[in-house]
Amino acid sequence: MSAVSTAQAQFGLGSRLAALSRIVELGPGRVEPALLTEAAQLLLRAGDRLKLSPEHTVVALAGGTGSGKSSLFNAVSGLELSPIGVRRPTTARTHACVWGLDGAAPLLDWLQIQWRHRFARASALDRGEGRLHGLILLDLPDHDSIRALTDPEAHRLIQVADLVVWVLDPQKYADASVHRRYVAELTGHDDVTVFVLNQADRLTPEEQAECVADLEDLLRREGVAHPRVVATSATTGKGIDGLKAVLADSVAARRAAYQRLEADLDRLMARLAKEMPEVLHVEPTVDGARRAGLTDALCDAVGVSALGEAMENVYGVRSVDWVGWPYARWAARLRPDPLSSLRLGGVKDDIRTLVGSSVSAQPAEVDNAVQALGDGLSAGMPEVWQNGVREAARSRSPELSGALSKELAEVAPPLDRVPGWWWLLKIWQYLLVVMFVAGLAWAGSILAYGVFKAGRPPAEILGDVAVLPWVGLMMVSVLGLGLLSAVASRNFVVLGAGKERDRLERDMRRRVGAVAQDMVVTPVERELNRYNEFFGAMAAARR
Amino acid sequence: MKSAARKTPDHKPARKSGDAVTEEPAIEEQPETPGEQTITFRPIQDGDPAPDPAGSGDDSASVDGDDGGTSQSRSAPNGSAADVVAEAGDGDVPEAGPGDAAASGGDRGGGDAGNGADTPAAEETAPAAESETAASSGDDAAGDAAAQAGDGDEGGTGRDGDDEGGTDATGIESAGIESAENETAGNETAGNETAGNETAGDESAGNESAGNESAGNDGGAPAGQTGGSTGRVREMPLPDPVSEALTRALDQLRVAVKGLHFGLDVPGSDEARKAQAAVLAQIDDYVIPRVHMSTAPALIVVAGSTGAGKSTLVNTLAAQKVTATGVRRPTTSVPVLACHPDDRDWFAKGDLLGGLNRLDEPADGAGTDSVVVVPTPRLPQGVALLDTPDIDSVVEAHHDSAHRMLDAADLWVFVTTASRYADAPSWGLLRRAKERGARLVIVLSRVPSRSRDVIVKHFGRMLDEYGMGEVERFVVNETSVRDGRLPEIEITELRMWLAELSVDDERRTAAVQATLNGVLNSFRSRLPALARHLETQVALRADLRSDVDAAYMGALAEIDEATRNGSLLRGEVLARWQDFAGSGDLMRTLQLRRGSKGSHQGPERVRALKASLRAGLESVITSAAQRAAEEVVARWRQRAGAGDRLAATPGLGRPSEEVMRRTSRTITSWQDHVTELIRTEGVTKRSVAKIISFDVESLSLIFTVGLLGYGTADVSVGSGTSALPQRLLRGLLGAESLRSISAKARSDLRARIGLLFDEETLRYVDALDSAGIPDEAAATRLYQATYNLEVAR
Repeated sequence: MSAVSTAQAQFGLGSRLAALSRIVELGPGRVEPALLTEAAQLLLRAGDRLKLSPEHTVVALAGGTGSGKSSLFNAVSGLELSPIGVRRPTTARTHACVWGLDGAAPLLDWLQIQWRHRFARASALDRGEGRLHGLILLDLPDHDSIRALTDPEAHRLIQVADLVVWVLDPQKYADASVHRRYVAELTGHDDVTVFVLNQADRLTPEEQAECVADLEDLLRREGVAHPRVVATSATTGKGIDGLKAVLADSVAARRAAYQRLEADLDRLMARLAKEMPEVLHVEPTVDGARRAGLTDALCDAVGVSALGEAMENVYGVRSVDWVGWPYARWAARLRPDPLSSLRLGGVKDDIRTLVGSSVSAQPAEVDNAVQALGDGLSAGMPEVWQNGVREAARSRSPELSGALSKELAEVAPPLDRVPGWWWLLKIWQYLLVVMFVAGLAWAGSILAYGVFKAGRPPAEILGDVAVLPWVGLMMVSVLGLGLLSAVASRNFVVLGAGKERDRLERDMRRRVGAVAQDMVVTPVERELNRYNEFFGAMAAARR
Repeated sequence: MKSAARKTPDHKPARKSGDAVTEEPAIEEQPETPGEQTITFRPIQDGDPAPDPAGSGDDSASVDGDDGGTSQSRSAPNGSAADVVAEAGDGDVPEAGPGDAAASGGDRGGGDAGNGADTPAAEETAPAAESETAASSGDDAAGDAAAQAGDGDEGGTGRDGDDEGGTDATGIESAGIESAENETAGNETAGNETAGNETAGDESAGNESAGNESAGNDGGAPAGQTGGSTGRVREMPLPDPVSEALTRALDQLRVAVKGLHFGLDVPGSDEARKAQAAVLAQIDDYVIPRVHMSTAPALIVVAGSTGAGKSTLVNTLAAQKVTATGVRRPTTSVPVLACHPDDRDWFAKGDLLGGLNRLDEPADGAGTDSVVVVPTPRLPQGVALLDTPDIDSVVEAHHDSAHRMLDAADLWVFVTTASRYADAPSWGLLRRAKERGARLVIVLSRVPSRSRDVIVKHFGRMLDEYGMGEVERFVVNETSVRDGRLPEIEITELRMWLAELSVDDERRTAAVQATLNGVLNSFRSRLPALARHLETQVALRADLRSDVDAAYMGALAEIDEATRNGSLLRGEVLARWQDFAGSGDLMRTLQLRRGSKGSHQGPERVRALKASLRAGLESVITSAAQRAAEEVVARWRQRAGAGDRLAATPGLGRPSEEVMRRTSRTITSWQDHVTELIRTEGVTKRSVAKIISFDVESLSLIFTVGLLGYGTADVSVGSGTSALPQRLLRGLLGAESLRSISAKARSDLRARIGLLFDEETLRYVDALDSAGIPDEAAATRLYQATYNLEVAR
């Protein structure tokens, strides 16, 4: 295990894999599901492989039918372990030969090699083969015969082996089944891939050279930067030592497993990056201007300013009933009413109750406001992420308009509210009216008793003609006082309504802002963080 | 192919296609109805590539001589040959014995033909030509033609010898073809055929005496053909009428196939496009030239895996280094055609593989769209070898090239090796050969001599299991290759086979016909498959279209609901309305007519209410349009392939840029319209009008508020059975008038929004159209053309 950790530290594979797992966590809904599955499989495989014996290197002999995989396997192992034959296809099950069996069993279990196809090279028998200690050589079935169409075993093992040796022969080395399906995918796998041109004995030396050169060209064209090509002949034994040397290098380095995983990771990341090019780093928080914009838009949806105006106007109108000059009201009532002449008198009551109904937010405008925020923030992002931001912004919009309405109801005074001082003023006005009436009565009695001598006045003051001008003066001043106080209180009402309106708008903005923060901005910021984290992980996994 | 082959009733079931020919035998002996249309041979043969008939005529003449009588008279370039057949005589009928008609009749016919061909034939050419014109109409409906042919055959008494003969010939043609298909079915067919031929002979006997000999020939020839490979040689162009009907059917088919357009990327559309190109190439490269001139030398295409030794084999057979060999894989990239020098003209100029450039020698940079034609005297006449690129190397252009060559082949030689015979691509090729019904020969090459038996047996067993056990096989041992050639001893068998094929015209023709029939048969399944794919595209397009409609219909319904249930009257609109009503403007709207001119107060409140109503409506529409756009994209994404691709078109996921502007224009004009409605139609009740005048502008706003459902939703209105605006308006305008105005205003709003959404929808339709509009009629045309082709055969 210590080897694993040092290796991880050495190659940074661990942190890259951690970043990949972060991608897998954050990816669903944003990344092609097939790619995510592949990433998850790679994680799983990496986890398994890194846990299992780091002392062993799994080398797979892969190739088409008839290229001589089994012959090569036998030649390398020096034993007739895998049956060879002329019938095609020959090998149907994978055979494994292990140099140094200690700790290899779990690995072989993981590779799903059947017990009866496992062979061990006892080290005692090995003469000078100690350098191959730690090698697990697999003889795969072919991948290109009609049998292989239904048997994924070769494909599976090619994917998991630490080092793949492609066994080609002069007849088949350019087959599409190898190149299209595997080699073209091998970009970056140079260190963990070896090509063997087997059956070299069938060629003259010149032909062999031409063949190898052609193969190398072909491989380079397909993106294998430094192809390692070894010409061998399993039948004559030529080149087998060269192959063994190549294998021994890899086995001794004990690095093939990591290199393979790294190469796989590189390839996966390249594909991920292709699908999801990083566009830009976004601010993880919603800036003040956007917030203000959102609040404004939501306030409009609730109709805060309209409500303020309505309040101001309606108060002004309604206050007339309370603090207005009663005489003017009475005079107005004398005017003919068009509605009553249409027998629509009830409408007035309706209008009166109308202003009592509460205001609520309009859902469509709320939607649009939230939409605008999402669009503004996600501009320039890849489309899936744009959708993600939009979804996040909308995540709570069904409740949003309800919440806004509730806030509004708490803050906004009902339009039919009647403040206490209106009562006082109304009493004052009626008091003045009473005084006026009293003055009128007084003046009348003075006229009756004092001027026309209708009788003896009950009190002298009631008949004193000299008081009459004073009474008249008093009546006029009472009227004037009523008028003045009506005008003044009207002004107070308007002033108060204006203040009330300011307070309402301020309060409302604050509350709308809080609701928006809670129900829109927070989810959006979470999504933006996810975006940044995802691309951070992408960058980390790409090394 | 002009022979009077007919089938006995027994044979009927074997024929599937609705050829009327089948019916003929049943009605035999009945007199022909003169009214039936008749088909005569046309002198069109002249129109056919002149060299062919001539050349083939020569060849065949000699061949015939050897074999015994085949009706070689046909090979005469002009129509006379056809005539001869048609006139074919009374004499033949007796000659053709029921069973042995083919052989004996043929012989005599051959002799006769030699004598009589020129004279009578020439005479009758004229009538034939006349009747052709009449017949040509009939040709189109190939079924008819066949039916007529049947009739003609039956009646020995027919008057127009030419005509009947012609019809016979057509019928026979199809019979011949069919029977060729049935070859494998067995010998009975042959027997039947022969019987048919006799009857044909009978009928034609009714005609003029001049052509007896040729009639005999006719009888014999089809028997030979149909009887399978054992028959004799017939090396001549198809009879004109048939050829013409077939050609026309093929042309029609070609146009129909070409007319297919697979615009949408659904699963399988790439394959369909490929299949379309393959069918088209095959019709051009092979079927049409082959139908025009069945006498052309047979093209043997050597195909197989890379490194299997195709080029080596061709070189060895040609005894000359005609094509490059080597250890590099893939070796051959430009197809090389090796043929006898006499055949060179046909291949160098012919229509076969017409789409390819002809080269005299391999040139650098020559792509897979060229073919090198190399004459070599060592190859026998009448057969040509085509060395193809591989079918499985890393260069994929080679696969396409090889498959194209195979599509034009009369015979397939499939080369595989001891180490390759289990490869999946090889078996893919075998499957293709099986599907196409192509004549196939397998060469198992590079077999190590020590394990030869094991391998040959194993391979044989695999072939047996695959149902191809009876295919002819050759084995070539692994030996050293010198100068790109194998030792002669290795290919002796193969060379003999080739020589036989060259000499035995009949066998060759049979093979050629078998392959041609196989190809035509394969059209039965390949073309409908194309048409079906087109239909799925059409269906998909309809689905995508309906997705768009459904999404926008949904949006429209949503808006309808929102403008009806009062949910619009919230927020600012409601506040403005309260302001308007509560501040007394509502009352001021109504003024007593007499006297008071009351200053028009607070127009700003009216304007604010109007603006807020407009904004509210706009936001409802915008939000619905947004949702609809998202829904369309979501729905499209769920559709396979094409939908996904189309959904990615930028901008489709959100409403168009102009939607805001258009919406506000729409709403403004609607508001104006409502005002206008109130002004013109709001015929105030007279009783009211006397007392009150009102401000139209304000009243239209009150009306709008009522229309949008004020008081129906959560906006409580206190008491009252109906909401304030309604009551007020009803009082002012009268219930009747109010209802009609409401209906009008609402339907007008819906129409305007519908128009707006139509414009939005257009974007999706454009996106769909940009992917190509599948033509629904194309599938029908293709079905029709396929059917016509069947009938023409």
